[in-house]
Amino acid sequence: MTKDELKNYIDTHYQEKMKFLDTGRFDLMYEVTKENLLEISKALRDDENLKFDFLCCLSGSDTREHFEVIYSIASVTKRLRLDFKIVFPYDQAEIDSVQDIWPAANWYERETWELFGIQIKNHGNLKRFLLPDEWDQGYPMRKDWDAPDFVRMPEL
Amino acid sequence: MGALRTEEFIVNMGPHHPSTHGVCRLMLTMDGERVVNVEPVIGYLHRAIEKICENRTYPQCIPIMDRFEYVTSMSCDYAFSLAVEKLAQIEVPERAEYLRVIMLELNRIASHLLFYATTAMDIGAVTPFLYGFRERELIIDLFEMTCGQRLTYNYIRIGGVSRDILPEFVPQCRKALNVIKGKLSDYQGLLNENPIWKARTKGIGVMSPELAIAYGVSGPNLRATGIKFDLRKDDPYSVYDHFDFDIPLAHNGDVFDRYLLRLREIEQSIKIIEQALDGLPEGEYKTKIPFRFKPPAGEVYSRIENSRGEMGLYILSDGSTKPVRVKARGSSYNHLQVLPEVAKDCLIADLVATFASFDVIIPEVDR
Amino acid sequence: MNVTPFVLLELQPVFIWLYQLLEKIGLSGSWLTVASYTGLSLFLFGLLSVVALFLVWWERKISGHIQQRYGPMRNGWHGWYQTIMDGMKLLLKEDIKVVTRDKPVFFWAPIIAFVAAFVAYVVIPFGKGLIVADLNIGILYILAVTTFTVISLFMAGWGSHNKYALLGGMRSAAQVVSYEVPMVVSILTVIVFTGSLSMVDIVNSQSGIFFNWFIFRLPFGPIAFLTYITAATAEANRTPFDIPEAEQELVAGYNVEYSGMKFAMFFLAEFINMFTVAAIATTLFLGGWHGAILPSWLWFLIKTLSIVLLLMLFRWTYPRLRVDQLMEFAWKFLVPLTFANLILASWMKYARWYW
Repeated sequence: MTKDELKNYIDTHYQEKMKFLDTGRFDLMYEVTKENLLEISKALRDDENLKFDFLCCLSGSDTREHFEVIYSIASVTKRLRLDFKIVFPYDQAEIDSVQDIWPAANWYERETWELFGIQIKNHGNLKRFLLPDEWDQGYPMRKDWDAPDFVRMPEL
Repeated sequence: MGALRTEEFIVNMGPHHPSTHGVCRLMLTMDGERVVNVEPVIGYLHRAIEKICENRTYPQCIPIMDRFEYVTSMSCDYAFSLAVEKLAQIEVPERAEYLRVIMLELNRIASHLLFYATTAMDIGAVTPFLYGFRERELIIDLFEMTCGQRLTYNYIRIGGVSRDILPEFVPQCRKALNVIKGKLSDYQGLLNENPIWKARTKGIGVMSPELAIAYGVSGPNLRATGIKFDLRKDDPYSVYDHFDFDIPLAHNGDVFDRYLLRLREIEQSIKIIEQALDGLPEGEYKTKIPFRFKPPAGEVYSRIENSRGEMGLYILSDGSTKPVRVKARGSSYNHLQVLPEVAKDCLIADLVATFASFDVIIPEVDR
Repeated sequence: MNVTPFVLLELQPVFIWLYQLLEKIGLSGSWLTVASYTGLSLFLFGLLSVVALFLVWWERKISGHIQQRYGPMRNGWHGWYQTIMDGMKLLLKEDIKVVTRDKPVFFWAPIIAFVAAFVAYVVIPFGKGLIVADLNIGILYILAVTTFTVISLFMAGWGSHNKYALLGGMRSAAQVVSYEVPMVVSILTVIVFTGSLSMVDIVNSQSGIFFNWFIFRLPFGPIAFLTYITAATAEANRTPFDIPEAEQELVAGYNVEYSGMKFAMFFLAEFINMFTVAAIATTLFLGGWHGAILPSWLWFLIKTLSIVLLLMLFRWTYPRLRVDQLMEFAWKFLVPLTFANLILASWMKYARWYW
């Protein structure tokens, strides 16, 4: 399935749930609403013609206007690639966990929670791991975060 | 006399432990010698590469990306350059692509030799450690000759490479490849048929293909489970479609397969480099990009196959000189994540062997 | 020369010289006995320390050359006094003690290891007439005192209050106890033939041409020798059986919390142990000090060092076994093999099928 065929397939089968965006410079980029996330993810993974079983990357992002979470997925058996994202404002920073669909999402979601402060529903293992355990200076990957000049080392 | 009272205890393997290759900490719940549960604790090497990149211009990001995964920093450079080239739709001269492929494959060999060295050492054979490093040195010398650096190269740039190779590069490269080709049989002779080595690696740390895909395992670790998936063939980038090479495959998904697969990949990489050296075209080695380089607004997730697996880069650009968001995806991140599933209920010696065979590089996990 | 008070003493040339010297000074009676024994043990201690230092250097050179490098090169010709400098460094180093250690256990463990490594040399015949004491239970004595090593390792593991050390101590206890069995049984095959536990008798019964060495006498010899060497490698905690200190798994095993001189004592004891097992192998299987032309002590040294070399080659070529495979190898392979060998040897002895 080429890129155009994939676009046609998704436009016909998932027309109302996935909105095509023109920002993806190389692979297809779609937008999904927060409510549809779990349903669409599951459908994409289980679709016989797509089989998106491989979560390449899950990254949060702060565009200075709103938050985005980008899911880059691939199909190992069908050799396909697709990106979709969900967009939500700062005050509703909470998304569903896709761990049940792609177990690999566990750490990516943990990292998104830790660095962006996006709450993950039903995650179950939201513990700090990139930042120190006693970190209390906010979410460093947000654009409004100011880097402190000096960081106090933890007392030994 | 009543039954002996036993209890599980927790061992902190790391952050300073000889076999965690860096500063990874594994919290092991142990029942005597048996590992009941593994919990990786990472972040000791967190350098905030993604945040730093947000405050750098695109060309300035490349030296930062070098540090993302310093064992194969050529592929980090390349992954970033490729993502930006896709974003800005830059045409790269063919000579530059050939040079990139040569460097990437040389780096892959170097990385696999390092894997051979450290894995053998983790299983207790100290001598192969030095052997692996000896041949790696030849490749590092080639890199030093080309770009003046031995570990963090900053060689592959947006639009090409930073400089052309020297005239003596080609003969010296051929010589090095011949040496490595000859030594490969030595390596295999040391370990492959050794009964202790087989007892320590066969059937240990078995990963099923379903588990591997579910956890996003890629590269040789995925191919060792019997899934033929290599981005060089299945999602071709650069000029890999010009070359004739095979993707080695194994089926058991154990430590031995992962080890043998990497040694066989070295042979294929040598084959690619030889073809690239033969067909190296003349011409420019670089496309000029403007000093204030501004890719158009947009976003891209590009992925390449480096020696450990899929290395992906997500870049979000708003049309200014600096990226809004850079997300680096290293394959070790997923490999470390799957470790608790694979190493459940094994002996501590098996855990070390499994961990070594995943070829996890900690800076790639912590970024 | 009257040496009647010291019937056990056979290290004659040295001892007689020492005895006469002390007599000239004016010592007499029991003081003379005490002083001469002290002098002798100091001599032996010095000799073995030199051997241990040499072995450390030798191992580093051998490993270096196996691994395509030189090993120590800076101190003297090919770094010959490197180990002495290392020893001085370790002596001068701060002795770091863990606060939560078990004080007496932590303190005594290296001392016991060190002493246990040395006392075995009382009954080892270094050459013709060069033996401190010809005990009639010689080999039994060696087996008894070298077992103290495992106690010291276990004490070190327990006293350090460290989980890695504890695991290492447990491993070493399990390993040494298991490998003691095949080792003793392979020694027994020799004792069946000599009918004596005395080291001197064992050596004397191998006199003559080298076909009289026990390794060459009919089928049991090579098998007993190989099983002994295997078990002895495990006994000396050397790769591929070095699981008590497996550095990639347990960092350094039982000696992880030791530093300075205490660590050096463990380290030297390990090399002395290696020399001990090689010396026993020489005495039991390779004809001891017997040999033509060269002096007897030189023959002993050549044979022992060849076995040490073999152990070193093992170490630098093989990967390490896992702990359960190690036990399996001992109990499922070595023990049945050695017992079968012992039965064969006994039957041959009974039927007089040997020369």
